[in-house]
Amino acid sequence: MLTRKIVDLVEGNALRLSLEIQQRLIIHPSTVSYRNIDDKVLHNWIYDVCSRFSFWLSEDKEKGEVRQHYRNLGKERFKQNFALPEVISALYLTKRRLWEFIAASRKVDSTLNLNQIVEASFLLVRFFDHAVMHVTEGYEEMLKHTHDYEAPLSDPQQLAEAIAAKQKRGKLIYEEPKLPNLCFTKGMIRLG
Amino acid sequence: MLDRLIGMIEKHAGSMAEELKEKLLSDPTTSSYRSLDERALYDNIFEVYSCLGHWLLRDPEKGEVRSHYSKMGAQRFEQGFPIHQVIQALVSTKRHIWDTVLDKGIMTTAKELNSVVDFITYLNRFFDMAIYYTTLGYCERLTVKIRS
Repeated sequence: MLTRKIVDLVEGNALRLSLEIQQRLIIHPSTVSYRNIDDKVLHNWIYDVCSRFSFWLSEDKEKGEVRQHYRNLGKERFKQNFALPEVISALYLTKRRLWEFIAASRKVDSTLNLNQIVEASFLLVRFFDHAVMHVTEGYEEMLKHTHDYEAPLSDPQQLAEAIAAKQKRGKLIYEEPKLPNLCFTKGMIRLG
Repeated sequence: MLDRLIGMIEKHAGSMAEELKEKLLSDPTTSSYRSLDERALYDNIFEVYSCLGHWLLRDPEKGEVRSHYSKMGAQRFEQGFPIHQVIQALVSTKRHIWDTVLDKGIMTTAKELNSVVDFITYLNRFFDMAIYYTTLGYCERLTVKIRS
């Protein structure tokens, strides 16, 4: 379980951290569309991650709430005309600030166990890996719904054909070379 | 210490690339990778593991990361991969490094654990950039395709 001390540190500084992250998203060149979101809405979204840090990072949230919440976020950002890389960059900027804060706390608070910081980093990274994955899935779902676009290899039939084509190419490459019709064997001429 | 962790990954690059290649080929969440030539897939992974120090430390502006991964994103689009599977493969590549460090690193002293914290910082910075630029390259092609 994530150390209580690190959770308390993040949740106790949630307001300051979310304001800092909000500023980063607004000024960063990779997240320009975030300038169009209402300040309060954007702040609430970030504050929710920081103030309920233990809720989001706990293991049992992996499959259920995180999946649904971030799939919905991906769909919402698609409808708002955000580019997918921007949404991913916003999640990474949020993670980076939280990680900077946690990593820096080892210098401020000597009672913090370094093992706990490593453990916290693992949970933080795992949470954002899942968030990025589910945001992307939600975004892809909207692409299919709106533009009727689905990546060809999502279709099992097309994937099977692509695998068969690869195997065929492999066979051609590794096929035993055929003997020429005319060959020399120990000085003799053999007609094929 | 940081160099020791990076050196450990680079030293085991061959076996780690083989392990990850098998994982990507058998994992249903990265099923599209079964359509790739296995040697090319191995080479792609080996390229990251065997030059980890270069990717993590000697490309501070991440210019090389940008050009390499945006090209790869465009290539995966042309090959018909869903973008979430490409991201999943990069996440698995990162996790395999992480697991190896925690498994083989044997970190006990404060100095060693501090170096792990630094390693995590560099590792995440690199993979965040790699995933971002891969998605950017992929989405540029996707936009062209949708508009046409």
